[in-house]
Amino acid sequence: MQKNNKTLWEEYVARERALLLPVLLRLGYTLEESQPHVLGERYLTGSGGRKLVLVGKDAHGKKVVIKASSDASGIEEMQRERRSREALERIGFAYQTFLAPQELSWGMYGGLAVLITEFIEQDKPFLERPLEEQFTLALKAFKAQESAHATTSSHLRAVRHDFQQIQQYVQDTTLSDCAIQFISENQDTIEQYGGFLTHWDFTPQNFRIRNGEIYLLDHSSIRFGNKYEGWARFINFMELYNPPLAHALVQYVRDNRAPEESLSLRLMRVYRLMELIRYYATWLSKTSGDLHALAEARIAFWSEVLRCVLDEKEVPAEVVESYKKTRDSLRSEEEKQRQVGLH
Amino acid sequence: MIRFNCMKIVLASALFPPDIAPPAPYLKELAHRLAQTHDVTAVVYGHLPEKVEGVRVVAISKRRALALRLVAYTVALWRAARRADLVFLENGASVELPALIVSSVTKTPILIHFGDRTAKKYFYHKALMRRVADTIEESPLPRPEILPFEPRPEAAFAAYESSWHHHLAALDKKFTDAKK
Repeated sequence: MQKNNKTLWEEYVARERALLLPVLLRLGYTLEESQPHVLGERYLTGSGGRKLVLVGKDAHGKKVVIKASSDASGIEEMQRERRSREALERIGFAYQTFLAPQELSWGMYGGLAVLITEFIEQDKPFLERPLEEQFTLALKAFKAQESAHATTSSHLRAVRHDFQQIQQYVQDTTLSDCAIQFISENQDTIEQYGGFLTHWDFTPQNFRIRNGEIYLLDHSSIRFGNKYEGWARFINFMELYNPPLAHALVQYVRDNRAPEESLSLRLMRVYRLMELIRYYATWLSKTSGDLHALAEARIAFWSEVLRCVLDEKEVPAEVVESYKKTRDSLRSEEEKQRQVGLH
Repeated sequence: MIRFNCMKIVLASALFPPDIAPPAPYLKELAHRLAQTHDVTAVVYGHLPEKVEGVRVVAISKRRALALRLVAYTVALWRAARRADLVFLENGASVELPALIVSSVTKTPILIHFGDRTAKKYFYHKALMRRVADTIEESPLPRPEILPFEPRPEAAFAAYESSWHHHLAALDKKFTDAKK
């Protein structure tokens, strides 16, 4: 099963590359030899359609990011990303501006969509920065997102074609009993903080830092929803990669914002954790061997994190360390290569 | 509990948390502090405003069409203002027109606070200004942030509390004068 999915992905990559290469030649770009973003577990990830994310160079040797897809849903995702990025620059009710890599080229070439953007060089990945700097950067990014709050009917009209809008987070019977009860009992608190711009996959792989400023990547993940959706994703992620940063952000909300906001954050963390567990559950039928065992370990680990969030407890350090050991022993070499400098 | 100098005060604002624009946290803090002495009702635009202990918050949804929400707000403000001692108005076009209409019926004194310097002024602003008992230009300091890797900013909190102390003292005098 694993081989089938992986083989299909590899065939897809080869097919798309064959279509892409003459287009790039015509546009004056070349591909780099090493393409880590198509390796490892990449064939299992991605919420939307299939697309290639590649690195290349322009005629002057400047690094660029090349996205390409001939898959209908992949093209749709790329178009949504472009629309969102352009719309973000002209939201009239946002109090802050958003930075994004500059678009260098976009076009359809015989059914193949090609999007080329500037590559944002950063001196070091997010997680290699001092904890205080990580906190400051993350908070700045969240405040920028929160500065766009669609409250009136005219605000909602202005963004409805360019961004997805989430008003109902619940209605999901696959949530565990405790989680569904917790969310159902507090639906008003989720709704209370709705209408905010949020990057629902706000993790270090989806932003880069240049001159102390955060550049958002993957604009297809930006939508209007609960203010804490992006916070929740980021904090859950940091429970694994940098627990002190996760705890600092939770404490910041507790110290500086209304009690309802802390509750809203916890609700969104529970929601996003259930989503993550369900996502890894879909891997079980697509994988075998080590990757199957890894999917099981991920489900067990994130279920433990969910239990801790519901009980308002910190995730024990030994649980995190034990999971990391298991993960590292089960990850393929290709995936380890893909992870280098990713966060 | 007996409350001395207790007044019935209506706070009228377009913004209130979870809105994030600066007048919103100011209004919430003001409501909380005034409610220690006065009977406070806040009439605001919003869907599910944050709760403030001891304050009745009436919210008019912003998601209705403009004309409908203006009518709904005017009715809500009239209901609250007709038995109030004064209306404390946070400037803003969507509140000023209802306040102008309501004040001409109820004659309740209005104080206007200019918290939002960027707010648009429409043709009815001048008419409203002829009716207001007094204006308030200054605002207290914003609440300092407590950051996880820094000591609690005690000096900033002392300055914040002091700014509120002065602000409330100035308001108390203006409230008393307006009620006369």
